[in-house]
Amino acid sequence: MQDMHLALHGLAIKKHGTPAEVAAVVGLDPARVEALLTDAVARGRAVANQGKYLLTPTARMALDGEYSRYYGKLRNNAAYLAANEAFERVNVALKSLITDWQTLDLGGEKVPNDHSDEAHDGRCIDRLGALHERADKVFASLAEQLPRLQIYRDKLLAALEKAEDGAHEWVSDVRIDSYHTVWFELHEDLLRIAGRERVE
Amino acid sequence: MNASSTSWTLALDGTALPEKFLIGGKAWSIARMRSLGLPVPPAFVITTRACVEFLNSGRFPQGLEQQLADGVRGLERQTGRTFGSGPQPLLLSVRSGAAVSMPGMMDTVLNLGINDLTERALAGECADETFARDTHRRFIELYAGIVLKATVPELPPGLTPPEWRAAVASAAGAVIPEDVAGQLRGAVHAVFDSWNSRRAKRYREHHGIAHDAGTAVTIQAMVFGNLDERSGTGVLFSRNPLSGAPEPYGEYLPRAQGEDVVSGKFTPRPLAEMKLSVPQALQELLAAAQTLEQANGDMQDIEFTVERDRLYLLQTRAAKRAPLAAVCCAVDMAREGRIDEATALTRVTPEQLRTLLSPQLSARNAAAATVLASGESACPGVGIGVVVVDSDEAERRAANGEAIVLARPTTSPNDLHGMIAACAVITEQGGTTSHAAVVSRALGRPCIVGCGAGQLTALAGRVVTVDGHAGRVYADALEVAAPDEQANERLRALAAWAQARTALKVFRPADAPRDGVADLDKIPGAEDPERIGQIIAALTGVRGARGGAIASVEGVRAAIDKGLEFIVAEPVLPALLTAAQVCAPTNAKK
Repeated sequence: MQDMHLALHGLAIKKHGTPAEVAAVVGLDPARVEALLTDAVARGRAVANQGKYLLTPTARMALDGEYSRYYGKLRNNAAYLAANEAFERVNVALKSLITDWQTLDLGGEKVPNDHSDEAHDGRCIDRLGALHERADKVFASLAEQLPRLQIYRDKLLAALEKAEDGAHEWVSDVRIDSYHTVWFELHEDLLRIAGRERVE
Repeated sequence: MNASSTSWTLALDGTALPEKFLIGGKAWSIARMRSLGLPVPPAFVITTRACVEFLNSGRFPQGLEQQLADGVRGLERQTGRTFGSGPQPLLLSVRSGAAVSMPGMMDTVLNLGINDLTERALAGECADETFARDTHRRFIELYAGIVLKATVPELPPGLTPPEWRAAVASAAGAVIPEDVAGQLRGAVHAVFDSWNSRRAKRYREHHGIAHDAGTAVTIQAMVFGNLDERSGTGVLFSRNPLSGAPEPYGEYLPRAQGEDVVSGKFTPRPLAEMKLSVPQALQELLAAAQTLEQANGDMQDIEFTVERDRLYLLQTRAAKRAPLAAVCCAVDMAREGRIDEATALTRVTPEQLRTLLSPQLSARNAAAATVLASGESACPGVGIGVVVVDSDEAERRAANGEAIVLARPTTSPNDLHGMIAACAVITEQGGTTSHAAVVSRALGRPCIVGCGAGQLTALAGRVVTVDGHAGRVYADALEVAAPDEQANERLRALAAWAQARTALKVFRPADAPRDGVADLDKIPGAEDPERIGQIIAALTGVRGARGGAIASVEGVRAAIDKGLEFIVAEPVLPALLTAAQVCAPTNAKK
């Protein structure tokens, strides 16, 4: 796999990312990513702003066109496709779980969860753990076919365990590598590999 | 101890209330409901001792198998049903339950006891083949996910149960037993094993709970709300969980099974409709709600089923409630003498008060305004700004100080920076679990989703008011106002009770003393709750403080520790309640 493709792919996932953040997503060396992104800026494929990088619109289109070249084989790999389908199924459950984390159902009416009910929050995190243990088998199958996906598996467990230990922002805070943040990035990665669009 | 003469199971008939450490919290609450004279489906429990034995030896202790069979026979006698055969098959729920509820324990398996034979019997009994088949499918899904811990493939409704079982077997690498005793054994095993799951072990270590306490297993007869017109299922709140009004509130689905209420496939009816089909059960239900509220000292959320006119309570718990209901319920129950004032103050959180007192659109203004778009409410709150349809542009213009409403067909992680910059988010497609909804709630941004394809792009450049609660986008900037905390009689009562428990005074800015006040807005770092403690501790020659994070828990605590006379905050009540909770002898955090 070409490192430049990987670096730009990482930037598509960690938009407005620092080289370190992009490197952590795709498993490259941070210094190497920094060099690649600097080069990308020189070629008009990315713009830099206060140490953070952003793909240019044309680079985004060019990148979208590259996936079939790098992942053509994977797109026909039965084990990978089965794991990808399994992920899409767990994804539905994850989204509804995150919604339960964020909203309370009061006799049919949805109101935001103000996190004052520790028992409810505890149950949600418990359900997240149960879901994770089922999904982990899926992550393992994905990583078996494409080893760099193991990164997500490790980050998901790390976020889960922080949430389990009481740091609840690790469930769905969008500003950190919370469980939901990493899950979404993994989903975005899988969609790009498969050449599909997000449904909603 | 001679293991063969040990009793590993206990009936839950209400004649005795065994200790929680032996039977777990769930079985205990069944036994307690029975002892209050309330109708609960027949059940028995395998004690935590059996679990400990199992974990030590790796197999069922001697005698458990027989006692399990005896327990099931007891349920057969009480229900007039048979486990594993017709004409009226007995189905079971199997749930874990330790003395302290903890993560990682097995989820409940429902409809255990269904197989090809009992599916046919059930279909005959309720004259509904589709229901029986669907019950079978749900059992296979649940058993595969919970007991076999597999990511279950989709089980298409068109296929037969043997085909479903084969699909599960190839995905899970393990088989769902056809024989019902095998199903039960497998589920009990899985409960015992879950005691040593990754999550349960971590939780016990984190909370200093002994690893050798074990979990109990509660085995309960399923009841059917879909047998005939005199059957149904529903949920009752002993008070209104949205407004707090002291009257029962709930939903009833005639001729339906528990899962149907959750599935959203059916539209539930108001509770009052039970009067038409099952008036006796309704009366008993209302009486049970009173009994439980009195016994538990809090608003109850009760799941129930009516099977051929007979009421069964499935579960009761303290009800979740909206901020308004939390206030009403706390004050009313204290006045009714069900709880004391100190308890009432623990039933409301400062966050709930802040939500309640946050700025809102007036109904009159909203009614007169032009609705430009409407969709599903994903996160409440009001946002006013100019509509921008591109996340990069939203970020750029917000950085220049403009208030931005971000409008997108859908959002993806690529829009995150735009969502952070915006004061509200609206989308054309997607529901309340979509990316836009999830992220907006995490950010606390008012959000409306699913306004319809092509409905929003035309709004680009217009100033709009987004009412996240109502799910409407109005033309122009509408007026918003914060509710007056002194106008509400119950809020005044809460304020008085809170003030009686703390020496700290909380003033609104207009009423605050002018002298001896530290202005924390002028001290760098005082807006950070983690640093405010040190900053307040270092103050000299002041009587009070204002600004920064003074109204946070940390700020209030530091003010009290410092011995300040007052702080300045608006609204007053959240900070005052925080002060009362900080001062409470057993910290209000329950």
